[in-house]
Amino acid sequence: MHNVVIVGAGPAGLSAALAAAAAGAPVLLLDSNQRLGGQYWRNSSEPIESQKDQHFDLDTGMLLMNAVKARKEISVWNGAQIWSASHKDGVNTLRVLHQGGEKIINTANLVLCTGAYDRTLPFPGWDIPGVMTPGGVQSLIKGHGVLAGNKVVVAGSGPFLLPVAAGIIKAGGQVVELLEANKSKRWLLSPLTLLENITKLKEAFYYIKTISQGKVRARFGVAVIAAHKGVDGKLESVDVATIKRNFKVKKTRNVKCDVAAIGWGFTADTSLAGALGCKLKVARDKGVVAEADSNQQSSIPGIFVAGELTGIGGAELSMAEGVIAGISAAKFVGCKVEISRAHKKRRAKKQRFADALIRSYPVKSGWLTWLKNETTVCRCEEVSVGNLKYAIEELGATDSRTAKLFTRCGMGLCQGRVCGRSVVDLVAAELNISPTDTDRISAVNRPIISPIPLGVLAAGE
Amino acid sequence: MKNPDAIVIGAGLVGACAALALTNAGLKVLVIDRGPVASGTTGAGEGNILVSDKEPSAELTLALRSRDAWFELNTDVGGGFELEDKGGVVISRSSQGIDNLKKLSKLQAQNGIEVVQLDAAGIRQIEPHISKDVEYAVLYPQDAQCQPMLAAACIMRAVRKRGGVFMQGENVKSITVESGKVVGLVTEKNRYSSPIIINATGTWAGEVAKMAGSYLPIMPRRGFILVTAPAPKIVHHKVYDADYVANVASSDADLQSSAVVEGTESGTILIGASRERVGFKSDLDVAVLRQLARQAISLFPILSNIALLRAYRGFRPYAPDHLPVIGEDANVSGLWHAAGHEGAGIGLAPATGELLVSQITGTKAFMDPTPFSPKRFKEGEALAI
Amino acid sequence: MQSNIEFTFDGQKMLALPGQSVGAALLAANQRTLRTTRFNENERGVFCGIGICFDCLVVINGVGNQRACLIEVTAGMNVQTQVGSHA
Repeated sequence: MHNVVIVGAGPAGLSAALAAAAAGAPVLLLDSNQRLGGQYWRNSSEPIESQKDQHFDLDTGMLLMNAVKARKEISVWNGAQIWSASHKDGVNTLRVLHQGGEKIINTANLVLCTGAYDRTLPFPGWDIPGVMTPGGVQSLIKGHGVLAGNKVVVAGSGPFLLPVAAGIIKAGGQVVELLEANKSKRWLLSPLTLLENITKLKEAFYYIKTISQGKVRARFGVAVIAAHKGVDGKLESVDVATIKRNFKVKKTRNVKCDVAAIGWGFTADTSLAGALGCKLKVARDKGVVAEADSNQQSSIPGIFVAGELTGIGGAELSMAEGVIAGISAAKFVGCKVEISRAHKKRRAKKQRFADALIRSYPVKSGWLTWLKNETTVCRCEEVSVGNLKYAIEELGATDSRTAKLFTRCGMGLCQGRVCGRSVVDLVAAELNISPTDTDRISAVNRPIISPIPLGVLAAGE
Repeated sequence: MKNPDAIVIGAGLVGACAALALTNAGLKVLVIDRGPVASGTTGAGEGNILVSDKEPSAELTLALRSRDAWFELNTDVGGGFELEDKGGVVISRSSQGIDNLKKLSKLQAQNGIEVVQLDAAGIRQIEPHISKDVEYAVLYPQDAQCQPMLAAACIMRAVRKRGGVFMQGENVKSITVESGKVVGLVTEKNRYSSPIIINATGTWAGEVAKMAGSYLPIMPRRGFILVTAPAPKIVHHKVYDADYVANVASSDADLQSSAVVEGTESGTILIGASRERVGFKSDLDVAVLRQLARQAISLFPILSNIALLRAYRGFRPYAPDHLPVIGEDANVSGLWHAAGHEGAGIGLAPATGELLVSQITGTKAFMDPTPFSPKRFKEGEALAI
Repeated sequence: MQSNIEFTFDGQKMLALPGQSVGAALLAANQRTLRTTRFNENERGVFCGIGICFDCLVVINGVGNQRACLIEVTAGMNVQTQVGSHA
């Protein structure tokens, strides 16, 4: 029996690993982190029971992580970074940096659970030390027991802002403002979905309770539109604006803080799926995701995809998809196992909730009006809005790919993971056109998934 | 512009330079490309402007003129494309190779190329990080580099500002020929009339020739370039192994590669240059990346710690005799070719434009264009794939 | 909780907890600037915290472009601010 190879050990990957192992398949689970859990159940080297404060539901996570460690059919490679991957004639080749060297995995089947990372929008001052993503602030607390600062503004859009604010308060920090750019009543658009996902409501109330203990009240229709540094070069304050439904500014005030955690939902990490040649598509939130059929199979037979990679939907949907992907992969390698209707029903319920969520937290194009000519867009290559305008107006770029090649915008070390999505919108707005799906999908094309030292590359076969 | 004096098909560097030369000669020019500017081989190039890799030949005469033309053009269009006369350094490590390089450079010096012989100490003075086993090299101060995409864009901007028109995203469907003469062409969207059509479609030039009922033997030769993470200035020239010259001239279909290493203004280091004849196969070939990395490290051991960030591939357009094609079609009058420059298209583009225009307008050229004539091929001439 | 791993940052003695990343240990010591950019010499620090953005680059034991948010502190590690690009 061949191994089921799973990439990513968050909620989807852990679920897939257990489902495949339960069906009798040997499993190899790879993750770039040093510990299991992904971003959602990120944990530190402290005794895990002591970290429950920072999680709404660490019990489920501990259950999955402990089960994965206990099952002898599952081998785990932590700290494994895939730098390149390809698919040819039914065989997937993963080239992995692990324990200081390169290892090659050839497998007919794969389960990709590569997750997502914070979506950010450029704005004046977003490159000042102290401006961070909410996920970054949370990972420091969960993974390292460190508070990024003492006076924190949490802003942007989406339900993720709640656990981040709650986590800061639990860790002893002060949340000076909690700002949601969208209006609160958007949620009422889908009351039935809310009711059938009652655990999600419980989760929200859990965070709101913590946040109110921290004497913070969430404000809606408000956003951070600029950040300022003090004489020491560090973040000193942010401009907080009341915004219209289209995100255009009504009025602003200045708020002192030493950290601003600003995020706009999530972007799926499609680099590996894309390198393998899995078909990608543009989701409702205009993010690029991997296509999946009802068995979580990608466009390539034998490659299964689950979790945030297939569309942003949270940990519960990820688990539901992970189980189905794990069973599908086990079946693919010859195990006698079937996906039950209950599995698919659970997934459908979580999917309805995820859809409602995406509808409730849109990012409207008015954010483009917050930018100035000198605002940095590409943090790696220090490309400004003005540089992009020059590429369009003077050099005649008529699409985001050409604008990128003229300016190196999105061509630095992060390979456009941070700015790529925004650049597509910015260039299209500048040209007064709508971005095509091809524009969006070509912005996530990264044949080299992560940088590899030339010496390591040279030593490989 | 429905009735231009001339239509250039292809907005790569050769097309852009042809369009600029025609515009500067007073013609109303329309440029058509199926994609954006520099979206073919130009966008996949390193930006080489080399004289060092040429043996005394017609191509060297073209290269020497083109090198100077680049700097004139830089002034003409107002710069903006990172043109840098950084100089090339060619090394060799075998006694046979050193002998050959000495002979070649002596011959080059007699034919107008500036050549500086370097001993072990001399090399280290200009390239401190070069591998310890390099004891002989030749410096070619005339070798230069530009950012080819920006160059094409800046040249096209000048063409537009001087009255030319650029239609991008238009695929040419057919070329209309009446009694052996070009009269116009049809794209997916429009129909244009013109007595002059320039085929500057590089690797795809054979297809365009076919549209006019003629033929041109141009084939793709794939190459990969590695791009590193930004690094401090550790490679100061374009540095390459003399084997490169042998590979350029080789007719072998298999993979050949020899390290060509250079720093760029943006801080990344570019590593070339592989050559294989595999048609338009575009997948990333890790074996080629590894070989290029090994060869680059053997030149500059310090590169070992520097990370590979991107790799891209392009398809060099080559003719059976490895010479560019610059001149009027063998069968159709009014159809002019400027293609097949293989890996030297960036460097040779400005002089190609000049040579083309002097033939079209009947003015005196800086050299005899006969060696580059399309008439040198026999119909049906076989190409090794 | 005990800070029991010693390392240096720009020559200064620092302490980290077992399993802590370089970035986390430095932030805990209120050290926010980890590098300066190569063109505009702007200060940068931890941004995404999970290895995506490559903004928290530092020089570790002489090797540049290391992501402070990913690399665990080890005893005696020599960490330096990265100025511009670094080989």
